[in-house]
Amino acid sequence: MRLLLTPALLVVAVFAAALSALLRYSVLEFVPGSLQTGGLSLGNFTGIMSRQYLGAVWDTVVLSAATTGLTLVASYPVAYVLARTPSPRVRSTLLVLTLAPFFTGAIVRTYAWVLVLGNTVVTWPVPMLFTARGVLVGLVHFSMPTMILLLAAAISHIDPVYERAAASLGASPARVFRRVTLPLSMPGVVSGSVIVFAWTLSAFATPELLGGGRVKMIANVVRDLALDSFNWPGGAAFAVFALAVTLGLLAAVGRLTAGSERSA
Amino acid sequence: MLRLAVLLLVAFMTLPTLVVIAVSFNPTAILSFPPSGLSWRWYVNVITYPQFQRATWNSLVVTLGAVAVAMPAGTAAALALARAPRGASLWATLLLSPLVVPGVAAGLGFLILGAALGLLRSRAVLIAAHVALVLPFVVRSVWVSARNLDPTLERAAASLGATPWRAFQRVTLPLLRPGLLAALLFAVIVSLNEFVVSLFISTRLTEILPVAMFTYVVNYTDPTIAALSTLFIVGTVVAVWLADRFLDLGGVFLHHR
Amino acid sequence: MLVRLVVVSLLALGLASTPAHAQNSLVISVWGGNWKDTVEKVVGKAFTAKTGMPVEFEVGGTIDRLAKARVAKGSPLVDLTFTTSHVGRLYMSDGLFAKLDMAKLPNAKEVAKEALRSDYQMGGWSYVYTIVYRPDLVKEEITRWSDLWKPSLKGKIAMPDFDPSHIITIAALMEGGNEATWQKGQEKLKALKPSIAAFYSTDAQSQDLMKTGQAPVQVMLSVNAYHLQEQGIAVKLVQPRDFPGIVGIDCMSVMAGTTKADAAHQFINLALSKEIQTELAKALKAGPVNGGATVPAAFHGQPGIFLTPAEWKAGAYIMNDEVRAKNLPAWREWFTANIVK
Repeated sequence: MRLLLTPALLVVAVFAAALSALLRYSVLEFVPGSLQTGGLSLGNFTGIMSRQYLGAVWDTVVLSAATTGLTLVASYPVAYVLARTPSPRVRSTLLVLTLAPFFTGAIVRTYAWVLVLGNTVVTWPVPMLFTARGVLVGLVHFSMPTMILLLAAAISHIDPVYERAAASLGASPARVFRRVTLPLSMPGVVSGSVIVFAWTLSAFATPELLGGGRVKMIANVVRDLALDSFNWPGGAAFAVFALAVTLGLLAAVGRLTAGSERSA
Repeated sequence: MLRLAVLLLVAFMTLPTLVVIAVSFNPTAILSFPPSGLSWRWYVNVITYPQFQRATWNSLVVTLGAVAVAMPAGTAAALALARAPRGASLWATLLLSPLVVPGVAAGLGFLILGAALGLLRSRAVLIAAHVALVLPFVVRSVWVSARNLDPTLERAAASLGATPWRAFQRVTLPLLRPGLLAALLFAVIVSLNEFVVSLFISTRLTEILPVAMFTYVVNYTDPTIAALSTLFIVGTVVAVWLADRFLDLGGVFLHHR
Repeated sequence: MLVRLVVVSLLALGLASTPAHAQNSLVISVWGGNWKDTVEKVVGKAFTAKTGMPVEFEVGGTIDRLAKARVAKGSPLVDLTFTTSHVGRLYMSDGLFAKLDMAKLPNAKEVAKEALRSDYQMGGWSYVYTIVYRPDLVKEEITRWSDLWKPSLKGKIAMPDFDPSHIITIAALMEGGNEATWQKGQEKLKALKPSIAAFYSTDAQSQDLMKTGQAPVQVMLSVNAYHLQEQGIAVKLVQPRDFPGIVGIDCMSVMAGTTKADAAHQFINLALSKEIQTELAKALKAGPVNGGATVPAAFHGQPGIFLTPAEWKAGAYIMNDEVRAKNLPAWREWFTANIVK
């Protein structure tokens, strides 16, 4: 059994080596203008506490929360139809439309918004490209396929008999949704929201191409520090910070859902 | 009401794609919609642009390399997990951990590691990173199939005189096929589209296609990327439609009653 | 099936371990878009025709390419770099450039001495950073730098975020200082904040902002503005009446440690020749450095088209390269913290 696991563990070990290199650099002092580093220092982490970096963190959290909320609202109807439609053609079409974006990659998907938000089709009444709302639109669009699939999977597990029963007892469609469908689909809602939120925290391509330098999320700051300012220690500290936030978030949600399962 | 909402939402999801396709035929460098004419010049540019040619080759090499390492390693691991369900969840968490690491963290980490080992010139670091990023998908996909394997089948083969290797080849592998196919599909897709980590560790000579596209978008404002995007989009829509037709993707994602 | 996988993976590892080598071409680091296209068409083609050596390009923004060069220090991935004269000093202080062998640059005799910015940098052309705007979207006429602070231009301006030296210097000049005493302009700059719609990190982004009309007033370099005009976007370049535009000189340098130093020098020499300089000036709408180059009469007097380096001082403001390079990191930091955010 160990033998079977070994190759995969070696791969994970390489990944761990990369992360430990990151960790090591995050506590080394940055020597401006070179790749050499000074001695051990927590300066990079205290540097994160500055106004501009904390601003990026706050913007990232706000954008991620807004993205998650909007994506949830926008995805639920599509997911419902995908899961419940009796027509195989509708299901097939929705499935292709939802899955295809996954396979085209971040650049292709974001570039489409560079065009649309850039007044190519319509001249927007307010500036969209290179603004936070433009980035939000791009992020929601990017997250919808994931959310739709997760929600649709959860909804497809709900036995329609419950919805029919509620309707036959006189509940309006809205009531059926609120009292039966939505609660029963909660595991999907939660896992979808967590995944979209965690992914959006680390979003890079969308804010990089649609943000125009003004909208910076955590990932963009890491790139700027590491690849522009050549500050590997600073970038590493910020990346470690992002990693810690993501892990903490997942752990917290994991604990919450585990607790709710126990009490159910 | 629901139908209207879904229609609007589907429109939101697909209209940007249609704009890209329309713009790709624009004869001038100024992006306009509707396009002022029809021209293939940007498609010609895509095919003849040396950096795209180089990047496509790099993508093929890196993806092939990553898949070649991740498939056997991931399959073996998935089998191990399926056969020892007690310790499984701990090992599984470890093997799936790269999924939760932000791309920039992994990217910068590999950059630092690669620079320290002096390996940044070759594609080694790229392939190593892609293997690590693709492995969780392989493990997860094959594990689903492996969990449903009936161990008695392998024991039966052994009792009939098959060596463990033969039993694996003739009994286990065929039974794992759905999981293996899904794993291969995911591995190829993830690797071909991988962008953030590759951005950190690529050089002009080793960069893969998504990175080359990003460099182009940032430096040029003509519709060449619209043309390349259209090629991607058409290719993937066809592939996904075929997959749904012959592999019933609906069954993969949705619960059948 | 497994055997095949093993074979393939060995092959792949084999492919992975050999460094991805380019063939025997001269690799040039330059800005993308019309910059790369022009250098390729005007100089690259002539170079290949003359020497038989193909030319390849690495494109990117000014600071991006500097960062890449630093990572590759000692064994550079490019042979020749085009960069601005002041950022070139940053390359120099990192030991990334090789000293120019003037014996290999006979055409340099026809070039004004101001074009040799240092022992490591040979100027190729000049332009000016000035105010560029779309008269169709901005109804009033802009004639001075101080116009940028007008309330009517609120939320309409864009400027580079990777190199704020121009606006910092202008603000300093307005407050009676200069690039060395730039702190004098800090409050003035902060007052400009509400007028700024966006920052651009690349030429492409700047052009996008102008094309979409999101930032119809920009601090932009003249060559890019003329390029927009050629593409059909009617923009106007300003010769500001209160303070001059800021001169920019792009220089060619040979990378330290390159194996193609001779070829690189040949390229530079070719780029300095009268004929190529005339072509470059015409294609870019920039100022040549070779005194014998001719500039079309229609270009005379237009912003950024300096006929000789002597005109740099007369028509515009030249910043001190050393001061500029030394202050750039501090400027970027202050600018990002106080203006961009």
